[in-house]
Amino acid sequence: MAKKSVMTTMQEKNMQQVSVQQKIVKIAVKVIVYAFLIAMAVIVLFPFYWMIISSLKSLAEYRESVPTFWPKQILLSNYVDAFNTAKLGRLFINTMIVGVVSTLLSLVITVLSAFAFARLEFKGKDMLFAGLLATMMIPGELFTITNYSTVTQLGWINTYTVLIVPFLVSVFYIYLLRQNFMQIPNELYLAAKVDGTSDIKYLWKVMVPLALPTLISITILKMMGAWNSYIWPRLVANDEAHSLITNGLRNAFTETTGDVNYPVQMAAVALVSAPLFLVFIFLRKYIMQGVSRSGIKG
Amino acid sequence: MVDQKHQWKAWIYLAPAIILLLVFTVWPIINTVRMAFLNDYSGLQAVGGRVFEFGIDNFKKVVDYKEFVTCLKNTCLLCVTTVPISTILALLIAVCLNSIKPLQKFLQTIFFLPYVTNSIAIGMVFAAMFNIVGSFYGTENEIVVTAGIVNNVIEFFGGTHINWINAGSSYWANIVVMIVYIVWNALPFKILILLGGLQSINKQYYDAARVDGTPRRRVFSKITVPLLSPMLVYVVITGFIGGFKEYSSIVGIFGENMGPPDAPRRLNTMVGFIYDALSTNKQGRASAAALILFGIILVVTLINLQVSKKRVHY
Amino acid sequence: MKRILAVLLMITMLVGMFAFTSCGNTATKAQSNFEVPEGGYDGSEVTITFYNTMGSNLSTVLNYYIEEFNKLYPNIHVVSTQVGSYDDVRDQISTEITVGNQPNIAYCYPDHVALYNLAKAVVTLDNLIDSEIEITRADGTTEKLGLTEAELDNFIEGYYNEGKQFGDGLMYTMPLSKSTEVLYYNKTFFDQNGLTVPQTWDELEKVCEQIKAIDPASIPLGYDSESNWFITMCEQYKSPYTSATGDHFLFDNEQNRAFVKEFREWYQKGYLTTQTLYGAYTSGLFTSTNGTKSYMSIGSSAGATYQRPAANADGSYPFEVGIATIPQVSTENRKVISQGPSVCIFQKENPQEVIASWLFVKFITTNVEFQAEFAMASGYVPVLKSVAENEVYADFLANADGGTYVSALSAKVCLEQADAYYTSPAFNGSSTARDQAGALICKCLTADDGGDVDAMIKAAFEDAVAECEYNS
Repeated sequence: MAKKSVMTTMQEKNMQQVSVQQKIVKIAVKVIVYAFLIAMAVIVLFPFYWMIISSLKSLAEYRESVPTFWPKQILLSNYVDAFNTAKLGRLFINTMIVGVVSTLLSLVITVLSAFAFARLEFKGKDMLFAGLLATMMIPGELFTITNYSTVTQLGWINTYTVLIVPFLVSVFYIYLLRQNFMQIPNELYLAAKVDGTSDIKYLWKVMVPLALPTLISITILKMMGAWNSYIWPRLVANDEAHSLITNGLRNAFTETTGDVNYPVQMAAVALVSAPLFLVFIFLRKYIMQGVSRSGIKG
Repeated sequence: MVDQKHQWKAWIYLAPAIILLLVFTVWPIINTVRMAFLNDYSGLQAVGGRVFEFGIDNFKKVVDYKEFVTCLKNTCLLCVTTVPISTILALLIAVCLNSIKPLQKFLQTIFFLPYVTNSIAIGMVFAAMFNIVGSFYGTENEIVVTAGIVNNVIEFFGGTHINWINAGSSYWANIVVMIVYIVWNALPFKILILLGGLQSINKQYYDAARVDGTPRRRVFSKITVPLLSPMLVYVVITGFIGGFKEYSSIVGIFGENMGPPDAPRRLNTMVGFIYDALSTNKQGRASAAALILFGIILVVTLINLQVSKKRVHY
Repeated sequence: MKRILAVLLMITMLVGMFAFTSCGNTATKAQSNFEVPEGGYDGSEVTITFYNTMGSNLSTVLNYYIEEFNKLYPNIHVVSTQVGSYDDVRDQISTEITVGNQPNIAYCYPDHVALYNLAKAVVTLDNLIDSEIEITRADGTTEKLGLTEAELDNFIEGYYNEGKQFGDGLMYTMPLSKSTEVLYYNKTFFDQNGLTVPQTWDELEKVCEQIKAIDPASIPLGYDSESNWFITMCEQYKSPYTSATGDHFLFDNEQNRAFVKEFREWYQKGYLTTQTLYGAYTSGLFTSTNGTKSYMSIGSSAGATYQRPAANADGSYPFEVGIATIPQVSTENRKVISQGPSVCIFQKENPQEVIASWLFVKFITTNVEFQAEFAMASGYVPVLKSVAENEVYADFLANADGGTYVSALSAKVCLEQADAYYTSPAFNGSSTARDQAGALICKCLTADDGGDVDAMIKAAFEDAVAECEYNS
């Protein structure tokens, strides 16, 4: 705390020395930064906006040649339809169970592996790491048949296990967290060793808090993964007790002609994404707080 | 340093990951290799009792495909353009987002919204943006019902509309649309990662820089980029890996046709080729193509890692 | 040496003739792959799974009839599973087959069955259809396991024959509900301007010319599916498209190049467009009431409600929709495509599961009430002739008009052209041929010909065949 107040007073002194010209440059930079951010925000937001207005259109309006930017007639009934057609309740609970459990387990595995790669020394480390990276390079679709045969032999069809276990390990996230762990000064680890702190304790007390923003990012990505996964869940768990939200969504709104009723489907997507978005808003705080809070303690 | 006890420990930490990977990743890869070397292998035919000979016919078949070079070219082209563009843009956005005070929370929240936007919606937006609705282009009967948002903007500034993705469009117009689409798709993820990375940078570095009165640009190039380099490397390497596997984004815009209606498969990629083979149950050919792709990505990744090793600051 | 050559020549000719007769004549058909066990269904408890793409309204109809079925066979438990789209069903089943987890019954399109056939996983139905075994039902009545003469005659022939297009003359699928392409036209506009609905392509060309003269800003005709267009033209001209046996891809021929060239001329004159060339739903163009309009639209008979303009505030429609058979090359040889789901039965270790599946398939494909209700709920047409006499369905048809009851009008037109249905051969790779046929139309209609149309078209056809050959 004391350190911080010293900083601010020094900063104030500094500010007084800044000339008017520099101030103008600063304002100009600010304007550019804001303009850039707002422009990008609009671009990034556009699909979201389109999803919402599409969910309010009638099917006939959606099929018109010239897309409308605002529904001629706002159809809230799409949301009612979406809620009634897909058995959202049950699907939602299934997806929550799978999402939460797989995210938690996945985080544990990722943290342990990333720690081993970032801090521990062992023979063949580089080789193993390169090997892991290499597994990311084969299109996953080729794994489907083999994995399907494996889980069938294990008797996992139509269980929660089959939805959770096969994709717990993501080299993608191990690599991400390893990069983050590598940034934490090695001196901290050596100091902890001298103090006699165990690896696990060090990992839990120092590394994890310092890497919290990355861990939250992984949480978000993993949750989103559970929310959007489609092909695998449909293949291995298509009974009502285990099917996930995307399967329900895709099945419920296919018209008899094979066309998809996009307005209702979009309404359903918006409905089920809403709680997720609230969770993200909540987690965002932790990403943005970063290390400033946890600071560095040996 | 490397004592026996440590060896032990490391493997214990890695055990859960390794066991799962062996079962659900390594084993399928071994199986992929096996299928690639069985001539004309098809999973369904194998069930039907057909026996396959060992050989390299699948690889020959892949290389002999007259569009093979097109697939490779498209894959590489999209990769080398979209990865740098999306990384630089994401970096700028993340840094800007981190540097502002008013509206910071609000804007950060907005950049989270793409995560809850369905991918189908993104495809629909692109149809509205680049799609010309009409017919008979280039004839005297030309009818344009709507030229799409992008063309409307071009026309507003006095230009003439461009045929981006419809029948008669040029290859380069197609590629531009694909680049925009892929970059757009990749941005949210990269922003999230880089933003997380920025937060992990110790604030004291910045405070020190401020005390010294270091100009912004120098702070960016001497503190932000080096300290963010592990995350940047991560984003670039995974970007390249993902880029070489590009497929669904092309389907998103052009459909299974993988090209404008009058030139199907013009934008086909390596993974698109693999999908084509899988759709007629030719897993042997698909596996062979996957191994070729694997070889390519491996070389690129090794180069990437080599280059980054010298520059990354841990 | 000469003698040996002569013998060789003889053998080749004989083999050739044999091959010729065997593909043309179904009398020498292969053996069915399922032997009906003695006694047929033994009444044991079996659970059969049925993969389909039914939305919730159709599932309701199906579930009701599953209950009806269970009154007759209480020990056969039918589990209906919705599996996304048709392609999803195909992908899922072809994976499941590799470990023997396939369902008992599934919605199918011919090319899906060709794919499953690689694993010999689909039950051929011939022995079941021919079976004379009597089965006792729970209510004490009996039924023949096979199909009776009356039941066979009741099927619309073109639909029934779809099950036999796999090159060996065996029956692989049963038709469930069908659709086709019909010509939608703006009746109000046609009446006002004294236009006649075209029955042939020649007449269509003239009508297009007339419409262009009345409304130069219009696109007179929008065609939904380029692939269907190409394949249907082949049928109408009786020129080769594909074959399930021998050389698969036969569509690169003089006749086909000629009609594509003709359509190119029409396109250049602004007479017609297709869904992909237009860049949006052609039905959207047809129903539009301002700006660019079309006055004719060829699309799925099951999508009739999409071809109806949005209602005015008072519930009336801006114009009346007329529906007719699509234009023909010759009214003597009417051909319209047959589409929509069939069902197939998969091999299982327990023959009782197969028998039970057959009993259920037989129930839903021959039950008039089910066919009628399913048709009304789905917009598809029933596969049985006698459904038209069913009271409820007859009422439905009687209401047919170009507005509120446009689906009924479409169904009526479909039923009236029952003699015209065709299906194209199915084999592993037939879907590639379909895609290529569609792409050919798009390309040949629009591409820059560099001064030599014929050369451009010829090259496009050659490319398409090469692509098909590579993928087969």
